[in-house]
Amino acid sequence: MPEIQTKNNTTKVLKMPYFTERKKESLTGYLYISPFFILFTIFSIFPIFFSFYLAFHRWNGLGEMQYVGWRNFKLILDDPMFWKSISNTFIMALMGTLPQLIVAFLLAYALNSSIVRFKNFFRISIFMPNVTSIVAVAIVFGTIYTNSETGIMNVVLSYFNISPINWGSNEWGLKVAISTMVFWRWVGYNTIIYLAGMQSIPNELYEAAKIDGASLWQQIRYITLPLMKPVIIFTVFVSTIGSLQLFTEPLVFLGRTMREEGITMVLYLYREAFMNNAFGTASASAVILFFIIIIISVINLLVANRLGK
Amino acid sequence: MIIKKKLSKNKPNIFTKLFLYLMLFSGALLSLFPFYWMFVIATNPNHVVNRVPPAMLPGEHLVINFKNVLETIPFFGALYNSFLVSTTVTVSVLFLSSLAGYAFAKLRFKGKNVLFVFILVTMMIPSQLGLIPSYVIITKLGWISDLRALIVPGMVSAFGIFWMRQYIKEAIPDELVEAAKIDGCSQLRIYWTIVVPLILPAFATLGIITYMGVWNDFMWPLVVLKDESVHTIQVAVRLLNDAYVRDYGMIMSGTFWATVPLVVIFLVFNKFFIESLTKGAVK
Amino acid sequence: MFAKKSLYSILLIFILLVAGCSSKEKTNSESDSDSDSDGNIELVVWTFGSTGYEKFLDEYKKIKPNVTIRFQNADLADHHNNLFTAISAGSGAPDIAMIEAGYIDQYREAEDKFENLYDLGAKDIQSNYLDWTWANAESADKSFLFGIPTDIGPTVMYYRTDVFEEAGLPTDPEEVHALTSTWDDFRKVANQVKEKTGKPMTDNVNLIYYSIRDQSPETYFNREDELIIDNSPYIKNAYDYSIQLINDGVVGKISMWTPEWGTAMNDGSFGVMLAPSWMQNVIKGNAPDAAGKWSITHLPEGAGNWGGSYLGIPSQTKHADEAYAFVSWLLSPENQLKSFTEEGLFPSTPSVYSNPAFTNFSDEYFSGVNTAKLFSEAAEQVKSAYTGPGYAIANTEIGTALENVNTEGKDPEKEWKDALDRITRQLERR
Repeated sequence: MPEIQTKNNTTKVLKMPYFTERKKESLTGYLYISPFFILFTIFSIFPIFFSFYLAFHRWNGLGEMQYVGWRNFKLILDDPMFWKSISNTFIMALMGTLPQLIVAFLLAYALNSSIVRFKNFFRISIFMPNVTSIVAVAIVFGTIYTNSETGIMNVVLSYFNISPINWGSNEWGLKVAISTMVFWRWVGYNTIIYLAGMQSIPNELYEAAKIDGASLWQQIRYITLPLMKPVIIFTVFVSTIGSLQLFTEPLVFLGRTMREEGITMVLYLYREAFMNNAFGTASASAVILFFIIIIISVINLLVANRLGK
Repeated sequence: MIIKKKLSKNKPNIFTKLFLYLMLFSGALLSLFPFYWMFVIATNPNHVVNRVPPAMLPGEHLVINFKNVLETIPFFGALYNSFLVSTTVTVSVLFLSSLAGYAFAKLRFKGKNVLFVFILVTMMIPSQLGLIPSYVIITKLGWISDLRALIVPGMVSAFGIFWMRQYIKEAIPDELVEAAKIDGCSQLRIYWTIVVPLILPAFATLGIITYMGVWNDFMWPLVVLKDESVHTIQVAVRLLNDAYVRDYGMIMSGTFWATVPLVVIFLVFNKFFIESLTKGAVK
Repeated sequence: MFAKKSLYSILLIFILLVAGCSSKEKTNSESDSDSDSDGNIELVVWTFGSTGYEKFLDEYKKIKPNVTIRFQNADLADHHNNLFTAISAGSGAPDIAMIEAGYIDQYREAEDKFENLYDLGAKDIQSNYLDWTWANAESADKSFLFGIPTDIGPTVMYYRTDVFEEAGLPTDPEEVHALTSTWDDFRKVANQVKEKTGKPMTDNVNLIYYSIRDQSPETYFNREDELIIDNSPYIKNAYDYSIQLINDGVVGKISMWTPEWGTAMNDGSFGVMLAPSWMQNVIKGNAPDAAGKWSITHLPEGAGNWGGSYLGIPSQTKHADEAYAFVSWLLSPENQLKSFTEEGLFPSTPSVYSNPAFTNFSDEYFSGVNTAKLFSEAAEQVKSAYTGPGYAIANTEIGTALENVNTEGKDPEKEWKDALDRITRQLERR
């Protein structure tokens, strides 16, 4: 900080005749955000408009496109599999995200706490799953969740007197397997985001609270949570969007069969497009998914704002 | 200093401590076990992946499996490509996201909120469907089998802007920016000398996340990188899958050794930022 | 001022980033499928899996010095997704593409996207190839040819000699085949195995179903691409027979490509596996301890085919004639024999089957059975059935129905109806 001040003293302020301070500031603002909008326009706007356009056409990817009006939407909304994919997505989003954020918060708190040692080791190990490629994850979890009685997960269950589960085809078995895959891969990610947020909270606040005799819970409730609000909103927002777009994990776990017990919304549109070559209905389901995500996100932000007040 | 001494007398609850350690320890164990298991498969012949109950000890095929990998794919060339792409994209995302994040957090300009919401909305679009039109764009640019097809679209990130804006909003007091402005600091100077030093933890986090994301991405690279000379490591590792028959020992060996450089980069990066963090933490 | 300065620095960084890594790759992307002034031609070929085709390059260079072949290899599923994307986008496709038998159906409606190999002279070499595999690459009216067959996957019955012995059954291939020459006999043997050993006859329901499906003269669609499952007896028969075996309790619940599947192959926890020729490498890889315990004989009531590929020429190419010349040379009987001895690709050209280098091929792992001879006998029994563009959809749904009955104990008639419903839903959208 002192460095800046000494420099400021020597800087000469030149007033420009036709640029007011205000104008300069907004020009800088536009300039700073322009790279995103330029690249986004080139590489994303066209594909997005294309899929909105496709939603009203019938196209198998190879032949001529044919305008069909709202037919694609009718076909989808009439398909029990589509509704199944929505309910699956919500159930798995809830099973995968909520516990994940809570555990990540607790882990981050522990990592930030002054009484814990070997922090680096713990931080690195907990983030490690996010480093792996999905190919490896698929093989590893494929072995943990096997239908066989001697598979790791079924052996664990047998300790609790639970009979073996067909993880590959059972309604809840599949969902649990996919959710834990998501949980394992992403909990470390949210932990370091929370940790980064917690590190911006000055230690003095906790120390003062401790002197005042505040309990651990009180510290979390009155210092950490309020100051972490923007970061928590951020993670809830990103995780919600992420889990509504859940795709890779179920794809590798289900393989080409795409069983209805585990199909998600994005997987549904992927199946329509790239396995059934029905690009019209795939686009229509993408449009519906897009609006579902917007609605959920708006609810998300409204609730967050309400809680903040 | 005085506070610290007082604190050490005020001993933390032993149960709290036990609870924290237990949580961290089980977290670390569950996180690391699959890596150990990857290593076990990578050092064993193919059929061991199918053994029930699973094998728990490393075998003797460490060298053989990796030799098979080297014979099947250009492993080190692919590592170099991945390194090149991930580094360029990460540097660019950090720079451009923090600039934009700073603008959204601290600068006043018309339409700011609308534009920010627009960025949020772009995150909600499922990208899987844009594949064919995106491919058309890349062929028109002549970037098939060219690393630019990965780098240029990846240079900006809606997520990165969102993250930086949230962090800068919280970590940098408005008064600091105002004071610098009154002193006549240019915006670029404020960004460089005030904002950047204060958001190093955010850089570390976003940097790590971006690097990992780019390194592990395979859907898009698979589509645009056809020629062996430009394959990234993820694309190359996919080639270890044969048409009908799979040698899991070799596949895991490739995957495992493709992960190791990433772990090293993560460790170095992590250490570097943690140090700069503790140095600058006396706020 | 400051605005300009930062604009410049941003631009500079952009340029550095874009330019910094483009020098090396430039040559590749620009030269794709173009010929230079000397008449030198480069052909890009997309393949998947290990074909060993690179080994033929030196030889071809001697025949056609002005043609350079570049192979670009990818994983099976990725390769086909990429090919579809490139063909659909209208640019970026290779000069020659390998297409697996299961994926060729989706292009049947897109004759304009491929060169008709009949126009390039394929009629002249047709007699070298097995009729049924050739027919699978033809259009419904047989006037258009999408690809030349590279290899095939005739189906046979792999069986565990130790399990058969325990069940009091013979183990010699001839005798086993005599006992299981019809599907009714197969069911009797299955029940005997279950009774005497307590082990299921087969690993899962899918492989039984596939075997009968692939023996049928027609499957899900007729040549007008109408769904015929409801009125054609064959698919329903295959389904009902599979259900019968499930009800007898002789079908295992071990899904294909899972870890426990490999373990079961190794331990011999089921009796037979009804599978194509390429499955021998899967068995060897998964069951190293079972050498000499597996043997092979013919399926009841004739063979089918699963797998194999074709080489086709997308019409985006500028060098259709040169591409065809290479394809017809690479897939000639002589070269297919080399591909068989070196990479195990089973030839699609029957003249090879009588070659001594081929017929002397026996395998100690499979109890010394003369495998090449057995597979070639199977290959010649295969009948051609029309598949159609919706084949994969129909097949996946029937498979799901069978799996639901087998592992979740659902009602077979309801599953059949549900599967039909899902198939028609998906078909009307394309």
